[in-house]
Amino acid sequence: MPGILIIAEHLNGSIARISKEIVGAASGLKEGFEGRLFVVVLSNGDARLSDEMNLEGVDEVINVNVGSDHFDSSIYEDVIIEISHKLQPSLILFGHTANGMACAAAIAARLGTGYASDIIDMQFVDGQLTATRSAHAGKIQQELVFPNKNVVTLTIRGATFRAPEVEGDASLTQQDYEGMDLGGGIEHIEYIAPSTAGVDISKADVILSIGRGIHSPDNIPRFAAIAEKLDVTLGCSRPFADAGILPKAHQVGQSGTVASTCKLYIAIGISGAVQHMYGMKHVDSIVAINIDPNAPIFDAAKYGSCADSLEVANALEALLESS
Amino acid sequence: METRELFWSLDSLEIALFYMVGVISILCFLYGCWLHFRKYQNVRPASGHIAWRASIVKLFSDLLSHRTLVRRDKLAGIAHAAIFFGFIFAAIGTTIIFIDYDFVQPILGYSFWKGDFYLVFSLVLDLGGAALIVGLIAMIWRRWIIRPAKLNYDRTYSEAASAQPAIQHWRWEDHVFLWTLLIISISGFLIEGLRIYSEQPEWARWSPVGNLVAQLYAAAGLQLHTADVLRVWGWWAHGVLALAFTAAIPWYKAKHIISVLGSLLLRDTKPLSRLPSEPENAENVGVAVISDFNVKDVFDFDACTKCGRCHEACPATTTGYPLSPRDLILDLRTANAKPSSGLIAIESVIDERTLWSCMSCGACQDICPVGIEPPSKIVKMRRNLVDQGKFEPLLQATFTSLSDVGNSFGESPRKRSAWVNELEFPVKDIREQPAKHLWFVGDYASFDPRNQVVSRTFARLLKAASVDFALLHEGEHSAGNDIRRAGEEGLYHMLAEHNLEQMNAAQSFDKILTTDPHSYNTIRNEYPEYQDVAEIEHYTSTLVGLLKGGQLKVTKPLNRRVTFHDPCHLGRLNGGYDAPREVLELIGCEIVEMPRNRDNSFCCGAGGGRIWMADMPGEKPSANRIKEAASLTDIDCFVTCCPKDLNMFEDANKTTDHTGEFTVSDIAELVAEAVELDRLSISDVPSLLEKIIDKSSQIVADSILYRLNAGLGLHSNAQQPEAPTQLTETTTKSIPAISDKVPATPTGPQSFPKESSGGTGLGAAHEPADVIPYQELHVTQKELRKMEWGALAPVEAAVLPTYDLPEKGKHRILVAVKHVGVLDDDFQITGSDFGALSGSFDYKINEWDESAVELALLLSEKLGECEVVVVTVGNEGSESSLRKALAMGADRGVRLWDDSLVDADPITIARGLAGVAKQEQPDLILCGVQSADLGYGSTGTAMAAILGMPHSASVTDCDWDGESRLILRRELEGGTQHCFSLAAPAVLTIQTGSNQPRYATMRMIKQAKKKTIELVDGACLDDGSSGFVVNRVYKPVTEKATMISDGADEVAAFIVKKIKEVREG
Repeated sequence: MPGILIIAEHLNGSIARISKEIVGAASGLKEGFEGRLFVVVLSNGDARLSDEMNLEGVDEVINVNVGSDHFDSSIYEDVIIEISHKLQPSLILFGHTANGMACAAAIAARLGTGYASDIIDMQFVDGQLTATRSAHAGKIQQELVFPNKNVVTLTIRGATFRAPEVEGDASLTQQDYEGMDLGGGIEHIEYIAPSTAGVDISKADVILSIGRGIHSPDNIPRFAAIAEKLDVTLGCSRPFADAGILPKAHQVGQSGTVASTCKLYIAIGISGAVQHMYGMKHVDSIVAINIDPNAPIFDAAKYGSCADSLEVANALEALLESS
Repeated sequence: METRELFWSLDSLEIALFYMVGVISILCFLYGCWLHFRKYQNVRPASGHIAWRASIVKLFSDLLSHRTLVRRDKLAGIAHAAIFFGFIFAAIGTTIIFIDYDFVQPILGYSFWKGDFYLVFSLVLDLGGAALIVGLIAMIWRRWIIRPAKLNYDRTYSEAASAQPAIQHWRWEDHVFLWTLLIISISGFLIEGLRIYSEQPEWARWSPVGNLVAQLYAAAGLQLHTADVLRVWGWWAHGVLALAFTAAIPWYKAKHIISVLGSLLLRDTKPLSRLPSEPENAENVGVAVISDFNVKDVFDFDACTKCGRCHEACPATTTGYPLSPRDLILDLRTANAKPSSGLIAIESVIDERTLWSCMSCGACQDICPVGIEPPSKIVKMRRNLVDQGKFEPLLQATFTSLSDVGNSFGESPRKRSAWVNELEFPVKDIREQPAKHLWFVGDYASFDPRNQVVSRTFARLLKAASVDFALLHEGEHSAGNDIRRAGEEGLYHMLAEHNLEQMNAAQSFDKILTTDPHSYNTIRNEYPEYQDVAEIEHYTSTLVGLLKGGQLKVTKPLNRRVTFHDPCHLGRLNGGYDAPREVLELIGCEIVEMPRNRDNSFCCGAGGGRIWMADMPGEKPSANRIKEAASLTDIDCFVTCCPKDLNMFEDANKTTDHTGEFTVSDIAELVAEAVELDRLSISDVPSLLEKIIDKSSQIVADSILYRLNAGLGLHSNAQQPEAPTQLTETTTKSIPAISDKVPATPTGPQSFPKESSGGTGLGAAHEPADVIPYQELHVTQKELRKMEWGALAPVEAAVLPTYDLPEKGKHRILVAVKHVGVLDDDFQITGSDFGALSGSFDYKINEWDESAVELALLLSEKLGECEVVVVTVGNEGSESSLRKALAMGADRGVRLWDDSLVDADPITIARGLAGVAKQEQPDLILCGVQSADLGYGSTGTAMAAILGMPHSASVTDCDWDGESRLILRRELEGGTQHCFSLAAPAVLTIQTGSNQPRYATMRMIKQAKKKTIELVDGACLDDGSSGFVVNRVYKPVTEKATMISDGADEVAAFIVKKIKEVREG
């Protein structure tokens, strides 16, 4: 079994975190295969990108100079297919990202490999590759197999696997792409960075959110300061935004913003009204602090406490001061 | 003989001149009236419910009693009465003289204007004239010295500049009107005084005011010949001025004298509480141009006297929203100046934000002394805005929710009665069993957690009082009151029809009860327009009956000081002021009224659909109201009897920080306290026993079944009982970290999943609930096409049976959409594939695909001559999503299906869509990035590869001139956008958020029914081109919150730790 091929992503000179996580995911499978773990980086020849992918478990990093650092799905597809013909991997891995979704399925269709996306677990069961994904807003999980497919292409969910912390001793090779006309399909224009002014709940990974349970709007500045010290985004439930005490951009909920990329949501003094939950109940890790043990937020939260919100503020301030 | 000479000192020429002036004046007056009537002819006839006889009686009764004018402004009411009656007497007096002099005398040869009649006449007119002067002076004083705020026309909420010309005109006419009348009246007395001074008739005291003036002249030593001269000039001046005033009546403020007759006469018997339906065969939906209004509306525009009472009463105006009913009416009047004004578009006169500010509370129409009805006009104008798609996204989300699932919360209809589960007794289902009362619960009382508490309390009160009641349970949809007032008439109709069908199909009931004034209003007043409906009672009336009748006994009178807030839809709109107060008295509360109570109650701000819209800047009406309550001395409780009120005022109480002073409670909760509900036994013992027996027998049966199956080595598909929740931080079998996993020993596809430790013997360890044993794989196994290096198996577009399609025009865009099911929380897995997920699904169009459709429509509108075709791979039910896209504006639909496709993976779907694309030959193919149910995020990209087309994923913006290149932006992780150009034709997968999919009104949905959907057989798709096979499907373990310490220090440390974990991955 010849091995695993990982296609790395990068932007603005650094490797995307997910590519490293995939290495972590794949190295666990290597023992099931008897093969090597390859990483391919398409770039403008920047060797530092290859260095970043030299992680524990990687056997070879191939840097292909395609004359550009910008993701171009047609280039990626052509190059990856050509490299795959040479290396003949059994498993081709992408991140389930904007880039991954733009080319992984295309490669699978062009080659006829097995294919599944947004994978959260991979196992070998009886010599067969088994991939797991979730569906229906996480209520269901599917276990997938790929009989008759000697080659399988998968896209891997981010923030699911652990990236290796240790450097590897991969061999680093450089290739110049000699092949068909590159480009033509896509012509890069520019990148537009998101506006940093103001608050963007939808892009916040950690949110400290406050509700009426903090007793008085006068206490908001304290929580805002705590959020700033913790380097997390301040969110709130509807009343504060309505009263104009906090800008609307802070409001999490059905009529505010959905915390779509949030990984950790800390709700203080929020009871969990239906409209608020709409904006955050999907978050993987929710810590809810509410003096009312029957508050609906505890149905969505992973961790809960009935501590008093102001006392928690005191404790947080003390902690942050000391550190 | 007591009389006076009419044309003293005038020769026949001068009399003729006078008559000529008179005739000109009357002609001018008539002409002015005629111009108005011509305007009225361009609008629709009066609709609405006018009871003519009663209306005429009410007209006279209201005018003569002046009851509508003394409300909330006694000074203005009395002063106006003085002016009104004084003016009427003067007018009648003049008419009498006219009749006597110009008809009776010449024709019949005698005069009646003499003798005692003349004396009484003189007295009445003098007193009337005096009253007129007093009234006018009072009004002038009020306008110039007192300056009430409601008479200030300045607008704080909109561009003052554009309204200035009109405002200047209004101020001018206000003063001209008063001063002119005053001058006419005073000059009249001055001249009368001159006459009396000169002629000294014996009966002078019968003209007391004139007599007084004459005595003043005497005291001043006025020369008689001077008096004569003054009298001549004065007479002409007074006469011409009076005739000029008469002529001018229809041209300015004075016209209210006539137009008010129209506005009062044409009053609807139930304005706002029963809205008018749309007229048949109307060209526009609602009101788009002035001529879409009706006769009553235009009378209303002309009748407004700018008294400002509505301006003062309106909660929107008071809290700084961009709406004043007075300004709305006046702006429409200004716009409707000419007969040709019928063509003027409303959007050039009234700002959208003004129309959306209205809370449908009815305060304006309630207080208007001349019967103007602004709210129904606003609703009619909103109907047109809705038809044009001009409303905010939040409101659109509500429309969509109501139309998809019949409630505004976006919750599955199956959850509508979930609130009853916590009751100690079962609640009857009217669809199965008859009951005396049908309790129509309403959205908020069903879904909102705070109001669910009230619902349960009321349910327990009914139970304690042995009231026989039942619910429609899942059959109930929102009554539709507010959606109607928000202007979505078609959706209202759909909801009302649904509820009526449910009630018709249900078992028998006598009466309907409700805790929701909004539902109460529409079922009571508007549903009967469709068919007869049972009588409906608001629960406050029910409670009065139960308390007075003894079914609920007050054992603990509350002895509290409370204030009561009259809900708009119960009080003002339906006259229900007394029942709640009676209840409060019966339970021992002392009612301290807020200054604005009963008909003057101040709206909480949630009505008219505003609860579904973003707040406008400024104070919230509910905060304004709470502050009013807080100004009362020492009240314990603010009492509500409406679900929306409870929400709004509890919130406001917290944000205005008055929670320490008084609580906000629903009246049912107070009653529950007073009757000590928690001490009464209300659970049904027999049914509790039943529940226990059911539950234990189920547990026994399950356990036996499991062991049998395990023992026999069979795989049962019975669902296991829930595992005890293992609450540790890291247990989720759903997302293990691969790096520390050891590959499981190969056990073959037919073994039990690895989590089971107990093997297959009897007495096996209890299997965790997340793993449902699957069926034999050979039942569901599909074959995949073999692929290996050296023998590739590229996926090809399906060769589908050809179907009819029109010849391609300039451009064609193909959009792939999916009909996705949202899985309910209580579902069961009965097999290993998705087709066997027997659970409840709520279906709708995938929202990413909706954005794709919207983009296609925007592009096609820009390009012109572009056909938008929507395609789906789905069963018959999926046609509703195609229809939705067609209603939005797509031209044609294609549905590809075969039953073998029920589990199709994205590669197979892409193959099919590519097959359709080969026939359609589109210039652009769009689909959503992913679907909300399975979220593969792959179909579009796979389709592009199969077709060999350029492609991009996660596109947020697309600029296309129809030629060979697209300028695109796609969204990367972290929010960065990547701008680039791509060759066309191409396949794009579209991200949500870059556009707001347009709302398809009921009207557009109806029209779309004529568009075609072609059905294509997809049997050839299932040839093994799939990318995967599903081995099994299972429910992952979910957890309730793990409770960590209540100690603040531990919690703080925990929070910091969690943040670190996430940040460091």
